[in-house]
Amino acid sequence: MKKLLLAGAVLLCGIGVAKAETIHILMETVPDTRYIQELLPEFKKETGIDVEIEAISYIDMHSKLVPQLIAPQGSYDLVVVDFYWVGEFTKAKWLMPLDDLVKRDGIDLGVYVPKLLDLVGQVDGVTYMLPFYNYSMAIIYRQDLLDDPENQKAFKEKYGADLRIPITWDEYKKQVDFFTRDTDGDGKRDFFGTVNQGQRGDCISMQWANYLYGNGGSYLDKDWNPKLDTPEAIQAMKDYRSHIENNGPPGAEGFCFDEAFNVMAQGKAYSFVTFNILFANFEDPSSSQVIGKVGIAPNPGGGLNGGWGWAIPNSSPNKDAAWKFIKWVESYEIAKKRALLGGAPTQTKIFTDADVVAARPYYSTLQKILEGVKDFPVFTYTTEFVEETGRELNLAATGEKQPEAALKDANEAFRKLLKKDGKI
Amino acid sequence: MHKTGRGIAAHVVLVAFSAAILLPLIWVLRVAITDKATAYRIPPEWGTPSFDNFVDIFTNYPFATYFLNSTIVAVASTLIALPLAAGIGYAFARYNTGGMALRLFVLSSQMLPPVVLVLPLFAMFLMGNLINTWTALIFAHLTIIIPFLAWILVAFFQGDVAILEQAARVDGATRFQAFIRITLPVAVPGILAAGILAFILSWNEFLFALILSGPKTNTLPVGLASLQSHRGVEIALIAAGTLVAIVPVFALLPFMRRYLIKGLSLGALK
Repeated sequence: MKKLLLAGAVLLCGIGVAKAETIHILMETVPDTRYIQELLPEFKKETGIDVEIEAISYIDMHSKLVPQLIAPQGSYDLVVVDFYWVGEFTKAKWLMPLDDLVKRDGIDLGVYVPKLLDLVGQVDGVTYMLPFYNYSMAIIYRQDLLDDPENQKAFKEKYGADLRIPITWDEYKKQVDFFTRDTDGDGKRDFFGTVNQGQRGDCISMQWANYLYGNGGSYLDKDWNPKLDTPEAIQAMKDYRSHIENNGPPGAEGFCFDEAFNVMAQGKAYSFVTFNILFANFEDPSSSQVIGKVGIAPNPGGGLNGGWGWAIPNSSPNKDAAWKFIKWVESYEIAKKRALLGGAPTQTKIFTDADVVAARPYYSTLQKILEGVKDFPVFTYTTEFVEETGRELNLAATGEKQPEAALKDANEAFRKLLKKDGKI
Repeated sequence: MHKTGRGIAAHVVLVAFSAAILLPLIWVLRVAITDKATAYRIPPEWGTPSFDNFVDIFTNYPFATYFLNSTIVAVASTLIALPLAAGIGYAFARYNTGGMALRLFVLSSQMLPPVVLVLPLFAMFLMGNLINTWTALIFAHLTIIIPFLAWILVAFFQGDVAILEQAARVDGATRFQAFIRITLPVAVPGILAAGILAFILSWNEFLFALILSGPKTNTLPVGLASLQSHRGVEIALIAAGTLVAIVPVFALLPFMRRYLIKGLSLGALK
């Protein structure tokens, strides 16, 4: 009994000792999260504040975040928000406007790539987030095959044009056809012009957006009217279907980016329209057999914009410390260190910083990619929109539904969601 | 000849069933001892086996913590649930407490999708300042385990045991004595089998663990899920983590076989 009392007393004393301040952050398991974890000792040295980062996978983040955001006081001081959720979170008033703090501390928002500030920074002129990370989409392709004189000659003979980094969508389609081959002559293609990530939902929605932009289409007109049943959109779907049927590996209609990545990483494909952040993985010996052979280029007609932003939830128990952390992590010095480790920057000057370019020459191309990107429709029901169109697109990709019919249904579903949100 | 034919046929069926269960596990084992680049190669290659992935999940990822958390939560919720569920089961079987209505009511929480339960639980634990604690997770798992176990155990307290119990009562035992000395020993296989199932339920549970736990209390399923990132699935690490997560269940296997068979073919009178 005495021992128990003693133990109790010791425990109470332990609680009595003032606890050091700790910030709790919820993040996604991406390399940038790891890079920030590596840099945390510097923040501790500067401010004396401890940081505890909880990193979970993307698919689980939304279900983990929402109860926390609804609560009057949650467990997270700071969160990262994917652009999908920006409409939903800001409309529900879950995020704290940062304008007063930005003004008070003289933070210059002009340092950010405007397209990213637009996507994961401001909504209707109010700053809710500072852009943290970009994952805009681009074409990753085999530079070595493009540079091969034999390929260049054969391409010129066949199409009467030079084989070069594709500038137009038509040029890209020709290259996809040109590089699709049956190398062992067994009647089945075994080298693929492109790899699709055709899985229902998020995977196909993201990738198909690039096909839509490539064909000159768009999701909306300027009055928020849906445009998914236009000839451009239908052509984009036909291209997508054709790539799966005639140019891609078997099963691509069920792939997400990881399966598709692996086909390309094993040297079995010429190109892959995907997130720019995957490029670094092609240079990583533990996951790739095409090191030094790949290049990255903007999607003709513009790639899909994508990114994450830092946001302080209204349910944050310690908003001051969270803001201190944002200021530190988004300072030029730390943003640059993160880029040097291989991070995905959001500030314009980082892309052209001499040290960064020396360490990672392709960052100047990334800047070009970011300048040309186009936004996905961001509104309250973006998540539902992705599910509904993702299903229709997948049905057309597998050939179960004609492109025209699938896009007509997708367009109607889109219109209903826009109406529900009061956009039209 | 006829006999051999039947033997062969039986073996064909058995081999097919075993393959259906074992092949995925062998595949996981293969992936766990290769690296990510080899893991996806078709046709499959074994490469040079290495245990780097196992080292990696314990050094670069907090799998030791996940494992500890899972063990504590699963053991604690099983130990708490068993006596409670045994009590409920006994009351249902012997007294028909609350009739069919109460039985169905107990089960009704299991008919809801878990996500419906998790939000009120989250709000309650938040008020009690219990988010990111083992206590919250154990409580949450009890809401799944107790109804399930109570229903399994009702069956063990019904039937022939009642006759044995009456015999004990005739011989002068009190109801409690009869329960402790006669009914429980007879139901032990059933209770152990139920306990093992409870442990596995808690061990594998994902949604409650995801939403109610935090970095210090995350369990193995949540830890494994975090290896699927926006930049790719760490398939080799997931495979290694999965094997680690299977170990305790494998360790329970011999008991499980003994008690499940005994438990399900119970009979003190036969």
